[in-house]
Amino acid sequence: MSILEEISGALQQGRAPKVKELVAQAIGEGLQPKAILEDGLIAGMTVIGEKFKINEVFVPEVLIAARAMNAGIAELKPHLSQDDMKAKGKIVIGTVKGDLHDIGKNLVKLMMEGRGLTVVDLGVDISAEEFVEAAVENEADIICCSALLTTTMGEMQNVVELRNSKGLDGKVKIMIGGAPITQVYCDHIGADGYTADAASAADMALAFCG
Amino acid sequence: MRLPRPIWPWPFAVKHMTNRERFIKALRREPLTGLVPTFELVFYLTMEAIGKVHPSQRIFSQWDQMSAKEKEVQFADMADTYILTAEKYSHSAIFVHPNPSDFDSTIRILESIREKTDDEYFLMMHGDPTFSIPDGHRMMEFTTRMYEKPDELKKSAENRLAISIEFAEKMSAYPGLLDGFALCSDYCFNVNPFFSPAMFEEFIAPYLARVIDAYRSMGYYTIKHTDGNIMPIAGQMVDCKPDAIHSLDPQGGVSLTEMRRLYSDKVALIGNVNCGLLQTGSEEECRADVLRSLKEGMAGYGYVFSTSNCAYTGLALERYEMMIDLWRQFGVYT
Repeated sequence: MSILEEISGALQQGRAPKVKELVAQAIGEGLQPKAILEDGLIAGMTVIGEKFKINEVFVPEVLIAARAMNAGIAELKPHLSQDDMKAKGKIVIGTVKGDLHDIGKNLVKLMMEGRGLTVVDLGVDISAEEFVEAAVENEADIICCSALLTTTMGEMQNVVELRNSKGLDGKVKIMIGGAPITQVYCDHIGADGYTADAASAADMALAFCG
Repeated sequence: MRLPRPIWPWPFAVKHMTNRERFIKALRREPLTGLVPTFELVFYLTMEAIGKVHPSQRIFSQWDQMSAKEKEVQFADMADTYILTAEKYSHSAIFVHPNPSDFDSTIRILESIREKTDDEYFLMMHGDPTFSIPDGHRMMEFTTRMYEKPDELKKSAENRLAISIEFAEKMSAYPGLLDGFALCSDYCFNVNPFFSPAMFEEFIAPYLARVIDAYRSMGYYTIKHTDGNIMPIAGQMVDCKPDAIHSLDPQGGVSLTEMRRLYSDKVALIGNVNCGLLQTGSEEECRADVLRSLKEGMAGYGYVFSTSNCAYTGLALERYEMMIDLWRQFGVYT
């Protein structure tokens, strides 16, 4: 087994100290930092995401893997060039106005970061104006809106309409998700994408940014 | 010719069953005739439905300053709110959310409901000591404890269990007030449970089983609620022996038919009317979903009709009333 496979495997098991140790070893052996990032750490999180989608792993296993990834990145960061660290895309994410639930949003953020995307977390109770302003300010590729309540999901339509009215519909995609959200609703309000789970959201975001 | 109504205990009279008795029969999965019981974990739309603020939405900033007489009026009004709601929608059970929530006030609100309605309704309260999905800020910290400090977490679970049992023991000194506990810790997302089956077995199931057993030994019924896709842990939940499982969330892909096939010989089933669809679907879609739930739920006994969560703030009242109208027409065991 190569050291990159070892890093991926240790990350999948959530063994943060081991991942850190292996990353240091890989650097010492002269491996390219970008390869360690892509083929070790991100590869491990990708496997976790795939397993999550088919109920082979559950949220705590994702979280503990993400913690191991962060440990690896902390070790790797001083060795990464600006070019290596260039994100695959930028996302602004938040829970819509009137809704204070953050579990789903945080999971999506974590999955996206695990796949090499930069995520700006706006928090909860975010209005359409705040979403669109943040997207412009951060030059984001995607706005991700989360809602748990049927009574708050209507704000997603406001986000879509405001983006369109600002002429950003060709530049900034809008992804939506949350317990009451469906593909039918996504199509109805003219959002660009809906996924049922956090790992699939990361897949879709990568595809949009690719 | 109309015969005079027999007076109980005339030996050939058929005793009128109270809503409480009907609800208990459903929990015990016993045969019933007439309407299948219904209730809601919470019915928040009281202002619109009966012109009264729901008790859990009342803020009593000067409660301690109130005279005993004023407090009594408040208790009576909250009791009326629960009772009028139950009467209007023919609920068989009332989930009481005491406000204020101290023990004496809890006893008083329960007494007030009993004084006004005797044993007509099944009364329940919150009583779940098990861990639920932690919120977004605590998820990582909670998960780290599961991995790195499992014994500490189990000690915390033991403490929570002890508090719940102690409360029930205190409550059992007031017989005839409370009938059961609703155990409302949420375990599941739409796609899957937060806890893996192995984690559930280690950190949740032992405590869930013990609290249910303790409640049962004191004569209390238990209804275990959780949203989301319960299927990977449903067997473990059933093995903890609650009297009923509530929500059966269609947004989480839970099939009432499948739950009935797998577990209806062990546990009663409550819920499954898609509460999200009630808000967002067309009238036809909602109607079809209600009729589907009734058909699947009433394929046998041991079923209580309800939404897959509650009548929440913001839900259109007319949709809930449509659901109840359909239940009155089609929710009848023949």
